[in-house]
Parts: sequence; structure tokens; C-alpha cells
Amino acid sequence: MIDEQHEELASLHALDLLEGSELAQFEKRLGGDPELQALVASLREAAAAVAHTAPAVRPPATLKDRVLASIEALEKPAAAAGNVIRPSPSVFRPTAFIPWAVAASLVVATVWLGQRYMSVRTEAESLQQAQKVADLALRETQQQLEAERIIARRQMQETQQQVAATGTQLETTRAQLTDRERQLAEARDQTAERERLIAETRNQLTTREREIATLTQRIDIFTGATEEIGRKLGEAQQQVARLTDELKSQGDLATFKITALASLLKNSPQALAVAVWDPGKQEGVLKVEKLPALLANQDYQLWIVDPQYPNPVDGGVFTVDPAKGERTIKFKAKQPVGAVNAFAVTLERKGGVPKAEGPFVLLGK
Amino acid sequence: MSISITCFPDGLFHAVAEREGIPTGRERGRMTPPTATNPTPPDERQQIDAQLLQRVAKGDKQAFGELYDRFSGPLLGAAQQILRDSAEAQDIVHDAFVTVWEKSATFEVTRGSAFAWAVTLVRNRAIDRVRMRRRRADLLAQSVPSDFGYADAATETIGSDSAALGDDARAVRAAVSTLPVEQKRALELAFFSGLTQEEIARKLSAPLGTVKARIRRGLLKLRESLALRP
Repeated sequence: MIDEQHEELASLHALDLLEGSELAQFEKRLGGDPELQALVASLREAAAAVAHTAPAVRPPATLKDRVLASIEALEKPAAAAGNVIRPSPSVFRPTAFIPWAVAASLVVATVWLGQRYMSVRTEAESLQQAQKVADLALRETQQQLEAERIIARRQMQETQQQVAATGTQLETTRAQLTDRERQLAEARDQTAERERLIAETRNQLTTREREIATLTQRIDIFTGATEEIGRKLGEAQQQVARLTDELKSQGDLATFKITALASLLKNSPQALAVAVWDPGKQEGVLKVEKLPALLANQDYQLWIVDPQYPNPVDGGVFTVDPAKGERTIKFKAKQPVGAVNAFAVTLERKGGVPKAEGPFVLLGK
Repeated sequence: MSISITCFPDGLFHAVAEREGIPTGRERGRMTPPTATNPTPPDERQQIDAQLLQRVAKGDKQAFGELYDRFSGPLLGAAQQILRDSAEAQDIVHDAFVTVWEKSATFEVTRGSAFAWAVTLVRNRAIDRVRMRRRRADLLAQSVPSDFGYADAATETIGSDSAALGDDARAVRAAVSTLPVEQKRALELAFFSGLTQEEIARKLSAPLGTVKARIRRGLLKLRESLALRP
């Protein structure tokens, strides 16, 4: 009776799954146990049947040809005893000559066929040798290919590692590049901002320059206007001065003492004179007409009658044009004059006198 | 050689074939599978295979051709399922058949069927290649793929082209379909993946003991269903 454990070992053995000491121990037991051997054999049959569960495959015709060609090239596994021709005892009989002749012909034919067979066999052996050489070369090539495949795989792994390392470096470089690009973008933004500020400043500058130009124009205009105003002011001032003068003169004239002097001469009754006195300036103008010509030792002398003095105040001497008897003179009083009551002209000796001595020629109040 | 046989009258060929245990054209040349009601019993099929292998051991290329026709389909399917590479699978099957031709004389009928032997030849070679790939992957410090290319739902990987399937394939598939899903999955991984017990347990996210038990129960049940008594 086989226990479960050995059934299990037999099952595993049938599938060639036993290894090492387990296999050794089982085979030791198997060697002396026919029942176990029978179990293993039957389980091997069952295991072999599992081959049928593989997907159905129709073998190509070339495979059979190849297998048959291979066994053809090999020697037969065993000499077939039945193929040996054994000669039988023979007795010469004339009647049997014909069969012998036929047999001889067959022998000749057999010899020929034998030679032919040997020739073909030699050729086949030659081909077999060539095939063996080719097989060896094929195996060598397969081994070389396998070695090259292994080497190529290692190289591929190294290359993959290098590619991975390069990839890492590339990532780092990309990250740096990204950082630089970001910095560059920031710098560009800053540059753009500064350019914008510069442009803005330029615009402001242009605006200011324009404003300055406008202001300059205005200043020029204002300067021109100022000059014009100054000029006009000057003119106005002049006008004011003139007007002031006029007013002043009008004021002065109001204060002026204008007196017409009449002739007191019997021989020259037509003689006349006008005296204008400016009390402010303490001076005056005397215009005479048709006075008689003077002698060489004579002068006319003007007198200003002021009540504050007992004697007329000396107004100076003058001569006239002997032909027309005319003369206009500016005169000043020898003493300060307060009020003028009258003007008088006397005929005096040359150079005048401090106190009227000669006759009155003209008199006016 | 098969061409010369076709020159014989049908009756004479079948008489010879029956004497030598060769399946006749009625079985070999049948394009449609036999009906489910009349399948060839496993024992009979194994007997035919064994007789063919005995003839192959004597250098009978015709028998070899017959054997190739009977085995090449499931063997190539299994190799392709393990390797996931059509060209590599064909190489494996080619080498396995050459080995059958060379070693047929050493085959002992008492140790198992011819088909199981051929499957072992193909599977061992295919798994060796798969493990070589993994060793290379380990050498290159690469992680082992979590999935060797098998779909999670193993039933989906089984072809549905029932017309192309033989009696054995249909019988096995029917038997496998009756297994609980976890047993079926464990068996398929154990057979096709080339993974160790521990790797299968990791892949199935199950304790190692549980996985071993599933394999045991699944295999015993399959043996039961296929009537493969020891």
C-alpha cells in the first residue's frame, strides 16, 4: 500500500519536479519497490497525456521531410535479419539453365544497383558530413549570437543608465534654464518698466519743454507787454509830467503878475511894454516896443514897486533896438519881492542907479 | 515506400498490415475524427504505438512515418506551448524524432508507452531550453518574468479546433475539463512552464504543500479518467 506522501512524491517525480536530496531518496525507494514503480509509470502516462491539452497544432510538411532526411542520413538502428540473402544448396540441371541465366542477369543488375547504391550512399555520407559541419557552424554562430546578445544587452543597460544620467542632467539643466528664463523674463519686465518710465519721463520732459516754451513765449509776450507798458508808462509819466507841468504852469500862471505899462513920454506916446512876474521864481519877463533910442550914456532901468519897501526895487537895466525900440528881457529883482503893485521904467545914466533919479518912461499897475 | 504500398490491391495491403500490426488506412487516413461513441481504447492505441516502435527499431521507415504522423501533432503543440516559439519547437520535435529513430531499440515496453516516452523526450528538451533562457536572464541580472507567457485562464490556451484533434486529445481534454480549476492550473504549470515546485507555488500564491497536493490529486484523477491503471 502506497501512502499519500509517496503518491505525492510519485506525482512530482512523474512531472520531473523532484530535485536534490528529495529526488535521490525517492529514487532509492523506487529502486526496490515495484508497486511504486508501477504507480510512477502510470502517473507518467497521465502526465504525458497533458501534452494533448496544448493548443492543436498542425505540423508543417517540411518538418516531416526534415526528420525523414535526418534519419536517412543516419545508419539504420539495427540490421534487419530478414534482409540477409542466404544461398540455398544447388544442383546443376540443364532445364534450370534459364532460371540461372535470369539469376545471373539479376546478379549483374544487383551488382550494378549495389555500385549505384554505394555511390549514392557515399554521396549521402558526404552530404551528411557537410550537414554536420554546417550544424557545427550553426551552433557556433548561435553561441556567438547569444554572446553578442548578452554583450549587447549589457551595453544597452549601460547606455540606458547613461541615458538616465543624461536625462537627470538634462532635467537639472532644464530647471536651471527655466530659472534663467524666469530671471531673464523678470529682467525684461524690469527693463520694460524702466523703458516705460523713461518714455513717460521723456513725455513729461517734452511736455515740460513745451510748457517752458509756452511760458517763454508768454514771458516774451509779457516782456514785450511790460516794455510796451513801460513805454506807455513812460509816455503816461511824460504825459502826467506834461500835464503836471501844464497844471503847474497853469497854477504858476495864476500866480503870475501881468502888467501892461503905458508911456509917460510926450514925445513917444505909442511906447508900451508888458511885464510878467513869477513870484515863485522871483523873476519876470519884460517886453517893450517903440521905445525911443537911447543915448550912449543912457540905459532904461526897470523898477518893481513893492509896498514893503519905501523905494522901488531895482529890476535891472536894458537897452532897446534903436531902430524899432523893441526888447524882451528876463529880469530879477535885486531884493525879494512880496507883492507887486506896479512896474515902472525910468531913463537913467549908463549902468543904472540904486534909486530912481531920471524921468519915468513907462508905468503900469 | 508508402507509394509502392499504394500500388498493392487494397485487400492484400490490409492483410499484410493486420499481420504486422500496422494501422490500416481506415485509421490512418481518416480525415474526420472517430465519433465519441466509438473511440479507440487507450490500451489498443498504446499497443499499436508499441508495435510501430518495435518495427522502427528494426529500421522500418514506413513505421517511423506512421509513428511521426501519430505523435507529431501533440508533440509539436506541447513544445510550442512550453517554448512559445514555433521554430524552436520544430527543432525540438525534430531532435526528439531522430532520438526515437536512434534509440528505439533500447525502448522497453514495460516501462511505459511509446507516446509517454516521446513526450518525455520533447518536454525535457523544451524545458532545458526554457531553463537556459532563465539562466541567461539571471546572468544578466534580470528579474525572471512573472509570467512565462501562459494565460491565467489555462483553459483558454487549449485550442478549440476539435476537428483537428485526435481521440487522445479529445479524451484528455474532456478528462482535464472535469478537474477543479486549481488542480488543472497546477498541472498545466507543472507540465508546461518548466518552473520548480517553489516557483509554481509562488506563481499561484499558494503554500507549497497545497500545490503539491493539487498536483497529486489532479494527476491521480486524470489517470483515473483516462483509465491508465498501473
